[in-house]
Amino acid sequence: MKQRLGPSTILGGVLILVWCLLPIAWIFSLSLKPVAETTTGSPQFLPKSATWDNYSTVFQDHDFQRALINSFGISLIATVLSVMIATLCAYAIARLEFKGKRAVLSIALAIAMFPVVSLVGPLFDMWTTFHLFDTWPGLIIPYMSFTLPLAIWTLSAFFREIPWEMEQAAQVDGATAWQAFRKVIVPLAAPGVFTAAILTFFFAWNDFVFGISLTSTTAARPVPAQLAFFVGPDPFNPPSSQLATAAVMVTIPIIVIVLLFQRKIVAGLTSGAVKG
Amino acid sequence: MATATTTAPTATPAAPARESDRLRGENRLGWKLVAPAVVVMLVVTAYPMLRALYLSLFQYRLTAPDDRQFVGLGNYLTILTDSLWWKDIGNTLFIMVVTVAVELVIGFAFAMVMHRIIFARGVIRTSILIPYGIITVVSAFAWQFAFSLNNGFVNGWLPFVGSDFNWFGSHWPSLFAICVSEIWKTTPFMSLLLLAGLAQVSEDMLEAAKVDGATWWQRLYKVILPNMRAAIMVAVLFRALDAFRIFDNIYIMTRGAQNTESASFLTYRQVITQFELGMGSALSVLLFLSVLVIAFILVKIFGVDLAAARQEG
Amino acid sequence: MAGSARRRVDGRRRRTLALAATMAAAAALLAACGGGGSGKPTLVWYINPDPTLPADFQGTFGQPGIAERCSTDAYTIETQTLPTSATDQRVQLLRRLAAQDPSIDLMSLDPVFTAEFAAAGYLEAFPADVTDSLSQGVLKGAVEGASWDDSLVVAPLWANTQVLWYRKSMAKAAGLDMSQPVTWNQIIDAAAKEGGKVGVQANKYEGYVVWINALVTSAGGEIVTNTSQGNDATVDIGSEAGVKAAAVIKKLADSSAAEADLSVSNEGTVLPPLVDPGGFMVNWTFAYNNYVPDKKTLADLGWARYPQTVAGQESRPPIGGINIGVSKYSAHPDLALKAVQCITSQDEQVQYAVETANMPAREGAYQDPALKKQFPPDLLKLWLSSIDTAGPRPASPYWSTIVDATLNQWHPASSVDPSTTPQDSASFIEQALHGDVLI
Repeated sequence: MKQRLGPSTILGGVLILVWCLLPIAWIFSLSLKPVAETTTGSPQFLPKSATWDNYSTVFQDHDFQRALINSFGISLIATVLSVMIATLCAYAIARLEFKGKRAVLSIALAIAMFPVVSLVGPLFDMWTTFHLFDTWPGLIIPYMSFTLPLAIWTLSAFFREIPWEMEQAAQVDGATAWQAFRKVIVPLAAPGVFTAAILTFFFAWNDFVFGISLTSTTAARPVPAQLAFFVGPDPFNPPSSQLATAAVMVTIPIIVIVLLFQRKIVAGLTSGAVKG
Repeated sequence: MATATTTAPTATPAAPARESDRLRGENRLGWKLVAPAVVVMLVVTAYPMLRALYLSLFQYRLTAPDDRQFVGLGNYLTILTDSLWWKDIGNTLFIMVVTVAVELVIGFAFAMVMHRIIFARGVIRTSILIPYGIITVVSAFAWQFAFSLNNGFVNGWLPFVGSDFNWFGSHWPSLFAICVSEIWKTTPFMSLLLLAGLAQVSEDMLEAAKVDGATWWQRLYKVILPNMRAAIMVAVLFRALDAFRIFDNIYIMTRGAQNTESASFLTYRQVITQFELGMGSALSVLLFLSVLVIAFILVKIFGVDLAAARQEG
Repeated sequence: MAGSARRRVDGRRRRTLALAATMAAAAALLAACGGGGSGKPTLVWYINPDPTLPADFQGTFGQPGIAERCSTDAYTIETQTLPTSATDQRVQLLRRLAAQDPSIDLMSLDPVFTAEFAAAGYLEAFPADVTDSLSQGVLKGAVEGASWDDSLVVAPLWANTQVLWYRKSMAKAAGLDMSQPVTWNQIIDAAAKEGGKVGVQANKYEGYVVWINALVTSAGGEIVTNTSQGNDATVDIGSEAGVKAAAVIKKLADSSAAEADLSVSNEGTVLPPLVDPGGFMVNWTFAYNNYVPDKKTLADLGWARYPQTVAGQESRPPIGGINIGVSKYSAHPDLALKAVQCITSQDEQVQYAVETANMPAREGAYQDPALKKQFPPDLLKLWLSSIDTAGPRPASPYWSTIVDATLNQWHPASSVDPSTTPQDSASFIEQALHGDVLI
């Protein structure tokens, strides 16, 4: 692969960095401002006197701790279940000929573009009947439903890029479709599955509509909803700096995931081009 | 999962029979593999949607169940003749068009840079994944604070706004702030999808075009964009429908004040804060229909059957 | 082939059932955790957030403190904190009550939503003797706000009111005699003249309707009357009083005394007395505690009765507060009725007021030495008389609809036009009550 490194490319690179990191720097800076400073107004970018106080305050906030646990648990479970189901489905779509394939794709497409808000009324109704309101499964189930299209589409795109001749070769050698799938395709598809899992996790971690509509206590309330209801030490003062602190804290996991798996995510997304 | 085993037929002697057996087996395996996904997707959408359709025919407030009364299509009539609905639809479409258009341009530029850059590749790709992965609510707060009068830096940095300009004090500035947050958060998604498309454009073709004397613009329009058609289509469709459902940013930044309400926010208010299940259900149905119409129009514009396009790859 | 296919399908069905069962079990487990395993019942009390915790405070603060002290050998009271805004609190509670959730026993309710909860049948009725102990010696304004259909449905815990807070130096410079009642026009002009601001709550939220309602009632009107008729209530905001209220809002919005963030201002963002050069603001009683640590500002801080809409006509200050309701779906209604009497007792009200500057609902509490030590006597007297002669917001089960419809027409403050807004909003609220418009 050839790359040229003109000045415009370098400038572009710098712009991307500013674009992505400036708001992060901003909430971080805001999180270091003492509450007294933001109460009387503090419009400059950097704090007049930086302090870590907000971090200890927010970290000791019991409701916030619960929200973190809820979000991690719910998002992880939903991700694992969703990706397992989606892998099977995407394989069938990318690889097999069967009646109703278009119907399945249409359903996935319809769900992917479904206006989530239209469901909260009836879902609230259903969940109170089944005692799922304000519980983990009450959020895991809708998260699965709404991450499946994304996972299926991402995975089927990956699966189409896999050299299927190898599977056919395996089948000619006497392997069944299932064996060919498991022995040959799964290792090839693993990076794609991993990417799909990360995308799915981000989606579930990001959800707000279900989070505020289908919970009402810390028993299941996830982080975004908790942020929206965040109560500072003074309920009538918008606790800007503490909210920023909470915001930074929930962004750290994202940054960690991105740092650890950046190569996999991007390489996964662009793997089709680097074919042998 | 592991129990779904040994379904494809093993070899049978007669060749034609083997073919049809194979097809049937493949058909069956296909359905077995997609069934769990289909069930999970429908359980949370199909039944609730049917229930919404039913409830939309009533005047029904959750906190006054005894006053429930059948009104036929009355709720739909009220909504469609109400200026608030059309104002909110207008806002929603405005946000959708503006954000997707801006994101497409910036996202493409970002994708080009990421595709070409050699040094600091990891740093840039890591950075661009941060806004993508960040919670929308966090983005909304970050920008709300940035634009806020007492604690925001924007007024101080922008030369053409006064230091006491209240961004959330009137309609267009509020909408602008909402769009900024939305664009900041979702441009990376766009650019990553476009990067994937860009990576599929053959370098050989580009080299050949260059040898033939094509200018940069010609190469962009004649080689790069046509070869990225599928990626652009998917990116625009997903982002447009996502933007049409905009809710989080509005909820955090304005709560719908200054007429910045979206159709989703209106529906949420009716169902969740007003407890008007009848009217709210009618809005839900209309919202769903709006999405279908927009999807239909987008697919028509691109002139490609999306499901088919995905199958071809 | 077919047989093995069916077996496989059965296998899948079993797994689906197993998955469903696992989820149900997990749900039951989570639900059980809330109930507490031991024999001693736990009463769950949903509380609104308490004000700022003072830096040097020892022990358990605010409502959790009351819960701790009122727990007995027979039951333990646990608290769950609701969101900040009254509107969000209402939504969280109503959602659970609509689901007939037995995990709510007690709840802290804003008076304006009491009617809705009572009319929907979500509140456990008080027996006559309990009603007596909960309402005897309680300020009239507080009892009114806790009643629906002529009976007490919730127990007043504390009563809130707004007064005018100002910088003495600025009032003096502007030549205002603050020993006499002042009007909105006077303070807006005074602040404009001295380069100060007048702080109000005018964000698109219920707090703005508090201001509108105070302006209207102070001019002798009401936003709605006949509220017992539900959605057939009479809408009166288009009256002369509504026009006068609109004129005040218009005057402030157009004046240099308006804060730049007028359209998004709330109780926490209004700053005038705090930042130079100062000014006036209307705010609830707890605002006082914000100034206590700042000795310099405190020395210059004055307080007076809520401003008049019409010169010479006594103002009707806003009244708020928190009342305690017992859920109809509580698993332990008898214990909850006992607990509510302890929670709203005079001793608890005094201690709560000392901690939070949220004033007692019981008149006798104002004589308590602890309270007199904490707050200046003339301020206590001002609060007491303001609560006693307050102009409450209409008690209607449709209050949240009325609020949204009013905000739709009156927000932002700069768009208010005395010649059209009151009339237009009257017909709009009427349509909203009948479900003829979207709000």
